[in-house]
Amino acid sequence: MSKAETIIELRGIKKVYQMGGHALEALSGVSLEIGRGEFVSVMGPSGSGKSTLMNIIGCLDTPTSGEYYLEGKNVAGLTFDQLSSIRNQKLGFVFQNFNLLTYATAWENVEVPLLFNGKNARRRRQRITELLEAVGLLDWKEHRPSELSGGEQQRIALARALANDPPILLADEPTGNLDSKSGEDIMGLLGGLWKEGRTIVMVTHDDRIAAHSERTIRLFDGQVA
Amino acid sequence: MNLTLPRFFLREFRKRRKKTALITFALFWGTLCVLILLAFGRGMSAQSRVAFSGLGENLIMISGGQSSIVHGGLAKGRLIRVYPNDIEDLKKRIPEIAVIAPESYNGWPVSARGKELNRTVHGTTPEFAGLRTQIPQPGGRFINADDEAEGRKVAFIGWKVAADFFGGEEAVGKEIIVNRVPFTVIGVLQKKIQNSMYQGPDADQVYLPFSAFSQIDSQPYLDRIHVQPRELGLSKLVEERIRTVLGRKYRFDPADRYALGIWNTIDNAREQEKIFKRIEIFLGVIGALTLFIGAVGVTNLMYAVVRERTQEIGIKMAVGARRRTIVLQFILETLFIFAKGTFWGFITAFNIVGLVRLIPLSEEGFGIGAYLLRPVFSMDIFFIFLGIVGTLVFLAGIFPATRASRLNPIEALRYE
Ligand SMILES: Nc1ncnc2c1ncn2[C@@H]1O[C@H](COP(=O)(O)OP(=O)(O)OP(=O)(O)O)[C@@H](O)[C@H]1O
Ligand SMILES: [Mg+2]
Repeated sequence: MSKAETIIELRGIKKVYQMGGHALEALSGVSLEIGRGEFVSVMGPSGSGKSTLMNIIGCLDTPTSGEYYLEGKNVAGLTFDQLSSIRNQKLGFVFQNFNLLTYATAWENVEVPLLFNGKNARRRRQRITELLEAVGLLDWKEHRPSELSGGEQQRIALARALANDPPILLADEPTGNLDSKSGEDIMGLLGGLWKEGRTIVMVTHDDRIAAHSERTIRLFDGQVA
Repeated sequence: MNLTLPRFFLREFRKRRKKTALITFALFWGTLCVLILLAFGRGMSAQSRVAFSGLGENLIMISGGQSSIVHGGLAKGRLIRVYPNDIEDLKKRIPEIAVIAPESYNGWPVSARGKELNRTVHGTTPEFAGLRTQIPQPGGRFINADDEAEGRKVAFIGWKVAADFFGGEEAVGKEIIVNRVPFTVIGVLQKKIQNSMYQGPDADQVYLPFSAFSQIDSQPYLDRIHVQPRELGLSKLVEERIRTVLGRKYRFDPADRYALGIWNTIDNAREQEKIFKRIEIFLGVIGALTLFIGAVGVTNLMYAVVRERTQEIGIKMAVGARRRTIVLQFILETLFIFAKGTFWGFITAFNIVGLVRLIPLSEEGFGIGAYLLRPVFSMDIFFIFLGIVGTLVFLAGIFPATRASRLNPIEALRYE
C-alpha cells in the first residue's frame, strides 16, 4: 500500500490555543501522509493533540499554520461553505460522544447529511434504509438517541458519517465510550468499510483496537513521535 | 424552487415545539395585553369626546351678571340683565355669529293624566335645537318657526318626562298642562350621551316656544342667550364683541368679567382636550412599558433558546450545513414563532374587544360603563406593536444564530 496515491498530506501543521494570557501549542509542526485506502490509527497520551489533529483533518477546525492537502487540494484557501461541502461529501466523522441530534430519530439523524447534499426524498429513503441495514439498526429507525444504547448510538453516528459515501472516514476514539462488545461491533464495521476501499483514520488509546489498523501514528506533545 | 430544506426546517420546528412554546405563549400574551390595554384606552378617550359633544360644540352662553368696575359714572354692583331684543342687536352688530337663540326657564308643576311633577320648563326658539343637539325621536319634531311666530301651545319634552307621564305610549299629540295652561306634545328628545350639563339632564326638561313661554311667565329678561360663532376660531372674538356690544347698551366696562356670565365651551373643550391628551399619554406610557417588558422577556427567551442550540448548530455544520442554511433555519423559526404568537394574540384581543362592545350600556346618563365597555381596536397600534416586537424578536433570534454560524464547527460543538 505504500505506493498508493496520497489522499491526506499535512506539512508542518501547528495549532496554538490562546488561553487568556498565554498560548498553548497543541500541535507543534505535524507532517504526515496517508494513502488512499489506508487504515491508520493515531495513538498517544492524553493531551498529546490527537483530537486537535483529527479536527483539522476533518475540516472542523483550522490550523494556526502549516499546509493541509486533501486529495491534492490545499484546504487553507477554501471558504466556509466549500469546507462544508467537503465535510458533507468527502469526510465522514465519528465522535467519541456520538454527537447525534437528540430531538431527532435514528432515521432523521442519518438523513441530515443527505438533506444538506440536496438528495431528493426517494434517494434519501433508499440510502437511509441501506445504511441502517448495514449497521443493523433498521428496526430502530424510529428511536431517538436517548432510547438507544451507546453502541447503537455510535452505529447510527457511523451510518450518518457514511451517508454521502465519503472516501475518508475519521473516528476520534469511536469506542472510547463503549463496552468492549459494542466496541468490537464498531471495529467490525470499520474493518468492513476499509475492505471496501475506504480510507480510515482513527484515534484510540487501546492497543487491541489499534491492532485492527495497518499503521499507527504516535503523537507525543503535539509532534509525531 | 427546492422545498427540501424548508420542509426539513418545518419538521424540526414541529419536533421542538415544546421548547419554543413558552416564547410563543409570551408573544401571545404580550400581544393580547398591549392590544387590549390600548383598545380600552382609545375607547375611553373616544367616549369622552362623544360625551362632551353631547352638550353641543362651539357654543357661547351668556347670562346676566353684576358689574364689578365703576364705569361711565355708574357705581359697581349693578345687576346686568340680558333681554329678548338683545338677540336682534347682537345678530346685527356681530356678523361672526352663525346662530343665536334666547332661553328662559322656570320651575313649574307639569301634569298629565292626573299626575303632577315639578319640572324645569324652558322657552326658546327653533335655533336652539341645532345649538344644543336637540334631536327628536322619530315621529316628532322640535319647535319650529311657525310655532314661535303664532305663539302655539306646543311642547318638546325630554324622554324621561315622556316616560313619567305616558309610560311606553307614544307621547306626541298628547296634552300636558304647564302652569295650568294646556300644551300639545310635538316631540320627544332622543336619548343621548351627555356628561356636561346645566339645569339637570336634558331628559327631564320641557321646551316651549319662546312666544308661548312669555305668555305664562312674567320675567321680562332672559335667563340665557346661546350663541354659535361661524367658526371655532372666531369663538373668542365673538365673546369679546358680545361684551363690547352689550357693554355699550347696558353701560358696563367690556373688560368687566363679572358684568355678564359667559360660558364659552371652547374653554371647556381646551380643558377637556388636555385631559384626553393626558389619558392617552398615560395609557401610551403604560402600553410602552408593557411592550418593553414583554419584548425584553421574549428577546431573552429567544436568545437563550437559540444559544442552547449552539451544539446542534455545530453538529449540523460538521455534517455539511452551510452558513446560510443555519441562519435561514433560525430566521424561519423566528418568523414562525413570531407569527404564531402574535396572530393568536391579535385574534384573541380582537374577539375580546368585540365581545365587550356587545355588552349593552345602561341608558341612564353616561356612567362608567360607557367609558369601559366601548374599547376601540386600532390597527395602527397593532402595526406599531408588530414592528417593535418583530424587530426585537428577530434580533434576539438571529443574532445568536448568526454568531454561532460564524464559529468553527468544533467551537460550536464544544459550546456549553
Ligand atoms: N479549545 C481548546 N482551548 C484550549 N486548549 C485546548 C483546546 N482544545 C484542546 N486544548 C489543549 O490542547 C492539548 C491537546 O488536546 P487534545 O484534545 O487534542 O488532546 P488528546 O490527545 O485528544 O487528548 P485525549 O486523549 O485526552 O482526548 C491539550 O493540552 C488540551 O488541553
Ligand atoms: Mg481527544
